[in-house]
Amino acid sequence: MKRAFDKWGVFDFFKDKSILVKEIENYNIREVYFLSNEIEKIALLKQPSYAGLMIGQLKKQFSLSIEGADLVSKISKQFPYIIVNETAEKSILYGKNVFSRSIISTSKMIDENEVVIILNSKRETIAVGKTRFADNLLLQEDKVVVTTMIDAGLYLRSEGKIKDKK
Amino acid sequence: MPNVKGLIEKMEMKPKLYIRTNTLKIKTKDLKERLVSKGFELEDTILDDVLAVKKETFRTGATTEYLLGYYYIQDLSSCLAVDALDVRENQTVLDMASAPGGKTTYISQKMKNTGILVALETNARRIRALLFNLRRCGVINTCIFKMDGNKAMDLNMRFDRVILDAPCSCEGIIAKDKSRKTNHKPEDIEFCAGRQSSLIETAIRVVKPGGLLVYSTCSFAPEENEIIVNVLLEKLKNVEIEPISYGSEGLTNFGVLNFNPALKNTRRFYPHIHDTLGFYIAKLRLPN
Repeated sequence: MKRAFDKWGVFDFFKDKSILVKEIENYNIREVYFLSNEIEKIALLKQPSYAGLMIGQLKKQFSLSIEGADLVSKISKQFPYIIVNETAEKSILYGKNVFSRSIISTSKMIDENEVVIILNSKRETIAVGKTRFADNLLLQEDKVVVTTMIDAGLYLRSEGKIKDKK
Repeated sequence: MPNVKGLIEKMEMKPKLYIRTNTLKIKTKDLKERLVSKGFELEDTILDDVLAVKKETFRTGATTEYLLGYYYIQDLSSCLAVDALDVRENQTVLDMASAPGGKTTYISQKMKNTGILVALETNARRIRALLFNLRRCGVINTCIFKMDGNKAMDLNMRFDRVILDAPCSCEGIIAKDKSRKTNHKPEDIEFCAGRQSSLIETAIRVVKPGGLLVYSTCSFAPEENEIIVNVLLEKLKNVEIEPISYGSEGLTNFGVLNFNPALKNTRRFYPHIHDTLGFYIAKLRLPN
């Protein structure tokens, strides 16, 4: 996890912050929560079902949740990202992948198969994705270049609540 | 109840839609600008954080701003219950029936994500909705216990503020959910009242001296509102009912029953008068 925090440029931020790792039985997953210091004390003492904000999951590697990605985008200066246009924003929030023509700009030195934070034109975190190409190839015409892994609309879709976005 | 015909007519109409800014993420002014630029028509309300939606160009629950946690769709009456709680930073607060998280997330933003907010909920599916809303709103000062509010004493904690938005017959939300007209029977009110009595007695026991308990329901029935609070006042003479700025006065009698005169300090909200869902709020202060 330290390696992941370092990669995302948030290692220093979390140095003096409270982090809680929760085992999810039968799924071989550990959820990582960011919490205030006061809530940490309660969590250790009283063992609630949940405490704080889930910022990601640990399987073999640490993967960011949308909330974790949002935190990273606000406090880090060195994370891989792509910025997409308004039309793409809407489709990504429905779980669609990212076409090259939707990308306005990217961070430097992006590798193939790299996890990137997908930002809208206002630089707000809308999704996390994985690149299919590196660097300039991300801007090639008419190809899906980033696979959307999670997006901010995921929960509502899973609940079947978004039906008639006009 | 004043102007019953007006109430019945209003209950057949679509209720007014309100959104509450999540000030942990955005200022109300900035949210308003963004939504107005998308064609929304919004108007201010008596609460700074709450806006009434006069016209929506997208479904209000499906905008990017909603998904990013910039606002919560929440009736003004429900926001007023949290406002009455008078929450401050670094306090210890208990939400005894927290899902889906409208009041919990509002309390958290009023605490500016500091202190300790304990949320209780028994239903696993509702906990999922609560978690989603806490995550969407960026809340870090909250822990959730899968626990019945009646067991709050088991936490072995005392709180500066306790809110009990009690499970009720939901008469007040008929405008939003028409099935409530037929799927509830008079016996349900009796059942709910029994549960509410036991919950409020637990709630008052976990408030610190000098602390506040806000009791609320989305019901008009005195059996679920004034009678519950009146019985508590008869048992605990030192509890005071503090006034609330908005809403109609609580009942001080019902049929042959006369209540503690202080119950007029509690508040009733009527759809045809206040343009909210039907709601009841009582603000109870424990002595120091």
